[in-house]
Amino acid sequence: MMSCNPFSPQLLDQALLYLICSAVGAFVLAPILTKILYKYKVTRRADYDFTLQGERAQKVGTPIMGGLLVIIVVTVITLLFNWERTYTYVPIGAMGISALLGAADDLMNIFGRHRRRRRSIAQTWTLVKVHHNIFWRIYYFLSLPWAAFRELTGMLGSHPGKGIQVHEKLILQFLAGAVVAWWIYFKLGSHWQTINLPFDGEIMLGWWIIPIIIFLVMFTANAVNIADGLDGLAGGSLLITFFGLTAVSWTDGRAAFTLLNATVVGALIAYTYFNIKPARFQMGDVGSLGLGTLLAVNAIAINKTLLIPLFGFIFYIEAISVIIQVISRRFFGKRFFKMAPLHHHFEFRGWNEEKIVMRFWLVHLFFVIIGVWLSLH
Amino acid sequence: MLSPKAEKLINDYFNLPFKGLSNIRCPYFNNARRRGRGQLRALIGKGTPTEIVEEAKILSIQYHYDFFDFDGRCKLCGESKDANEITAQVRKFLIDNDLGIDCSGFAAHVLRAYFRETRNIDIFSRAFSWPVGTWIRRIIAKLRPAENLSVRVLANNKFSELISDGRKPFDYAQLKPGDILTMLETGPQNKRNHILIVEGIDAGKISYIHARAWSVEGQYGHGVSHGEIEILTPERSLLDQTWEELGKLNDTNETYLEAKNAKVFEVRRIKL
Repeated sequence: MMSCNPFSPQLLDQALLYLICSAVGAFVLAPILTKILYKYKVTRRADYDFTLQGERAQKVGTPIMGGLLVIIVVTVITLLFNWERTYTYVPIGAMGISALLGAADDLMNIFGRHRRRRRSIAQTWTLVKVHHNIFWRIYYFLSLPWAAFRELTGMLGSHPGKGIQVHEKLILQFLAGAVVAWWIYFKLGSHWQTINLPFDGEIMLGWWIIPIIIFLVMFTANAVNIADGLDGLAGGSLLITFFGLTAVSWTDGRAAFTLLNATVVGALIAYTYFNIKPARFQMGDVGSLGLGTLLAVNAIAINKTLLIPLFGFIFYIEAISVIIQVISRRFFGKRFFKMAPLHHHFEFRGWNEEKIVMRFWLVHLFFVIIGVWLSLH
Repeated sequence: MLSPKAEKLINDYFNLPFKGLSNIRCPYFNNARRRGRGQLRALIGKGTPTEIVEEAKILSIQYHYDFFDFDGRCKLCGESKDANEITAQVRKFLIDNDLGIDCSGFAAHVLRAYFRETRNIDIFSRAFSWPVGTWIRRIIAKLRPAENLSVRVLANNKFSELISDGRKPFDYAQLKPGDILTMLETGPQNKRNHILIVEGIDAGKISYIHARAWSVEGQYGHGVSHGEIEILTPERSLLDQTWEELGKLNDTNETYLEAKNAKVFEVRRIKL
């Protein structure tokens, strides 16, 4: 099943079957999952969530971690029917690592205690100078780079709540990215060390592919996570993305990835059905980090690395809006957007949630279509 | 008077441009105690009126204070409350959330607007050459000019020229709108600096504007303010004239006391 002819009708037939089975499975599982999430009170709280006011106050109490629906269905179907050691076990593994990280964050945000404040560089430096024990002073001196890393990454985060902190998240995402990079560089062979350029053949990257993959996996996972802020936004956009990836893998004749992407599309249809406003559940970090990782891994694995910004257009725009806002805030002391990510900016401009979500879907669809078109060249 | 755009800006500080609200005077906020670093300038006492209003709206929504809606309209206005009560509540909200302007931030924005309009010179564009310290500080000043144009910089000979020592008599007729009165090392512990901007000179009266917090105004009474120095004895120094602000004269006028207690009290003119 590794590969077959491009545009193969048999592969399309099989992909549609996977899609249908996955959607049916997800529709069946959704009410059960909702019940479990309600039972264990895995629901959205108002603490630190500025968006939960006015009309949006009704979102308080909505179950989160609904992304588990997609993660479970995709994992089970792939394990049972599409398990290939060469092609599908690493994407599913990387998705699993990220989903676990997201699940831990979700659960800690709900049930955890407030984390202790980080020791700043200035505080660490003071300890280096004043601590009465010389060994502790050496220890604090050696820990200065770590303090700097935590402080720097802390600037990227919003409220240091009860969940996993930004520096911890980045380390674990680096790990997921490293697993993917190892797989592609060492296991898939030299053909996967190239990047496909539309209209212009391929570029051989050699070991440079490793940092690029790690960066893309980390960035894409976080980008999807950032975009998961309005009902239906991340789910619907991911649906469009994976539909595009399915089409591209099918046109390239990459069987395992066609089936994997089709499975995700099926599960996302059910997920988005329940996630449209008013949402029956929300994706949570478990889904957004897991599916963000899978998006990056699948796009890289089908050699469409350069087109990831198109396939994940709205996610990248949302993530870039946060970066621009942080730079503008820290360096110039001004807001570039009224609020980041971008969907909040439009909320402050008076757009309602449905208008933002649907317009974002359409813009995203347009760029995914461009991505698919470029993939054919 | 200063130029029309500078006067408009001053008016905006005296009546912050909230939709449907008037007479919200911008409070005083000094970041020295809070020591916010790398923050939005509106949150460290250096914002423009528009930025302060925008930040108030965002904070109100973000932390559920329920003062403003997404369009920036005040929700209290619909509750048939007394206008003064609404003003007091909004000002309290601003002060409790560290929204306001400090003296040098106010001076920086007003002087910028004034010289842009009258001389077509943007004082912020020269931030890299300000006397702020090392070249790293100068780069930071270039990136964040309003935050780095402190009273010390304004009172530095590289930035402004000395017209007179404030404790000595001088020809008051040579004062012009846009001149500054700087007070270094003043306040109860001689740790503060302060600045007043000369807004106009008319019939023996120097009118000035500044952002300040007087101790008698308590926690919620402070903000940008007008004052006047009446020149009754031109042959004597500024400190021997009559200072009036909020109906308080000389020794009950805390601005006057700050000028009197300052180690350095000078009248200066921005170099262009």
